[in-house]
Amino acid sequence: MLNASDARPAPGTSGRAPDDRAVAAGRPWGRIVRVAALVVGVALVLAFPTMVPNAYILSAGIVVVSYACTATAWNFMGGFTGYVSLGHAAFFGLGAYGTGLLIRDVGLSSFVAWIVAGALVLLVTIPVGIAALRVRGASFVIVSIAFVLILLLVFQAWGSFTGGSDGLVVPRPFPDLLRPEHHQVFFYLFAALLAVMLVVWWAIDRSRFGTGLKAIREDEDKAQALGIPTRNYKLVAYVVSATFTGLAGGMYALWFGDLDPIFQFSIMLGSYMVLMALLGGVRHLFGPALGALIVGSGLEYFKLEFGDTQLHLVATALLLGLVVLFMPDGIIPAVRALLKRFGPEDSSIREVTAAELLERNRTASHDAPSRDTASTTAAATAPATPTTRQEDGR
Amino acid sequence: MTGTLLFQSLVLGVLLGGLYALLAAGLTLYFGVMRVVMIAHSAFLILAAYLAWFFHQQTGMDPMLSLVITVPLFFAVGVGMQRLLITRLRPATITMMSVLLTFAVALFIEGMIGFVWGGTQRRIQLPYSGDSVSFFGAQIAVVKLIAFGLAALSLAGLYLLLKHSRFGQALRATIQHREAAQLIGIHTNRVAGFGFGIGLATAAVGGTALSLDATIYPSLHWHWIGPLMAIIVVGGLGSIPGAAIAAMILGIGQSLLQVPLGTTWAQTIFYVALFATLMLRPQGFFGGRLAQRF
Repeated sequence: MLNASDARPAPGTSGRAPDDRAVAAGRPWGRIVRVAALVVGVALVLAFPTMVPNAYILSAGIVVVSYACTATAWNFMGGFTGYVSLGHAAFFGLGAYGTGLLIRDVGLSSFVAWIVAGALVLLVTIPVGIAALRVRGASFVIVSIAFVLILLLVFQAWGSFTGGSDGLVVPRPFPDLLRPEHHQVFFYLFAALLAVMLVVWWAIDRSRFGTGLKAIREDEDKAQALGIPTRNYKLVAYVVSATFTGLAGGMYALWFGDLDPIFQFSIMLGSYMVLMALLGGVRHLFGPALGALIVGSGLEYFKLEFGDTQLHLVATALLLGLVVLFMPDGIIPAVRALLKRFGPEDSSIREVTAAELLERNRTASHDAPSRDTASTTAAATAPATPTTRQEDGR
Repeated sequence: MTGTLLFQSLVLGVLLGGLYALLAAGLTLYFGVMRVVMIAHSAFLILAAYLAWFFHQQTGMDPMLSLVITVPLFFAVGVGMQRLLITRLRPATITMMSVLLTFAVALFIEGMIGFVWGGTQRRIQLPYSGDSVSFFGAQIAVVKLIAFGLAALSLAGLYLLLKHSRFGQALRATIQHREAAQLIGIHTNRVAGFGFGIGLATAAVGGTALSLDATIYPSLHWHWIGPLMAIIVVGGLGSIPGAAIAAMILGIGQSLLQVPLGTTWAQTIFYVALFATLMLRPQGFFGGRLAQRF
């Protein structure tokens, strides 16, 4: 919601909801519809555990909410800065194993262990983030995948400490609860964690810090030139993202109670986070959660229908490929664009992303070949549109 | 560690490093021509190994003969992939989005291998599978020597192609500066497509070499992609000689560490090297201007 404009005029205007007011003035119904949708959504989530017919559906619901948590946590990095991390499962696994090991070996009580594990993930992420962010894009992706692969190796090989492939049993935090009530409690705990993440994401989205991160996403060179401490901003976003992922992992450990390196440090889990966030729309507060609802339900359904075949890999692959090729901005913008075509045109000023601008400049320069100079084609037409030319790697 | 054992693992390390070098060269080519981190490279490697196995299974002929089919096939698939998939992405976000796209391709291949041939482990049994030769006291399996020979020959061929042909010059020009290459009349799109095809052809050769002496299963590619990506960063993104040298050094290192540490821990050398490189020299040890920006 609040499609916080992605290219605000300047970092100085601290972005106090100008678009909100514009929306309220231009389309008085827009705001009411949004608030109503939010209230209905919250009510549905809160009522879900009491409406479900059996415990299986409830546990599937918990899985979906935990996916929503991880996808939203991923979006702190992926959505704001545009850096795609395929290895966020590393932090999920670290949070889960951290919680389990702190309970088993240190004897902390469940939720203290959960918080401490979150803090440990935060500390581990700082050096990893520094290494990953030394150079741009490609190396970040490589480090993110390498980190999850290395942790999988270590946690499998170091059996005496982590339980290795035999798994690690995490004691239940509420031993006297029956299974359905246990599920219910954890559904609300996951929902609360998700709510905290959404509020933090929303706050960052409207802050100066968030504007800086989005500037990095659109054009990192220009952001740097404007004086944004890009390295530190990216690092903070990465650490926040990883810490929330770790907290989601710790919560999962407390709920599920049995950890295996294959499933916790799974590159598939990391790719689900990316797929969910992209499918819903990385620039939108509820995008990743919406994606998690769709992909998570789909995965659970697939598991139920087809069992343990390789087909879910093929299905995930096809869906990811289609989203990347045809809908990289996600469902929310696609639906909104569809609505806009039938609604009135509300203003003549339109937001463009750096990518769209580059595309437009490209076509413009192809139409006017006489303007081609030795510099890049985009630069040749850049003076006419004095904004974001994305450096696409030359 | 005795001297013989040390020498033996050194030789095995060189043989392994040769295969790594060929595959890392392919990975570097994709990155060079399109700025693409090709996650699916090792999935194609495993696919080629499966095709070699299947070929041997069906015809009973030597799996190396399957190269006659797989190399042109993979070249065509590579060109097609560049033309039909990679170029559809927006230029501004190509590095990030191509990672996801090639990841999807890797998953698709893994899933389809599992679907068609099942998830069980496969291995080719050849009359010379158990043979080995003695080399200054070290026992080297013949199949490993053949695999190294294939990799070394292809790498030499790739070197000659890149250094001494007009196409190679065009390809290197495209890697170095795309706009400048266009200005002197190189069809950079076509060259990039061929570069992709050649990269995928290295996966065909590597997969066949791998099938000779390895047990293969669908998810094996995850064990290859991590080391290969570490190699191209250590060598410097976009530098083929850098990738080859880093592959050799890390392959030997892995082989030597296997003796005291065991197979699993020895693999961590790639990741340690990756993190150390990024901390000390983020552009890699042989990377140029290009690597500094990525």
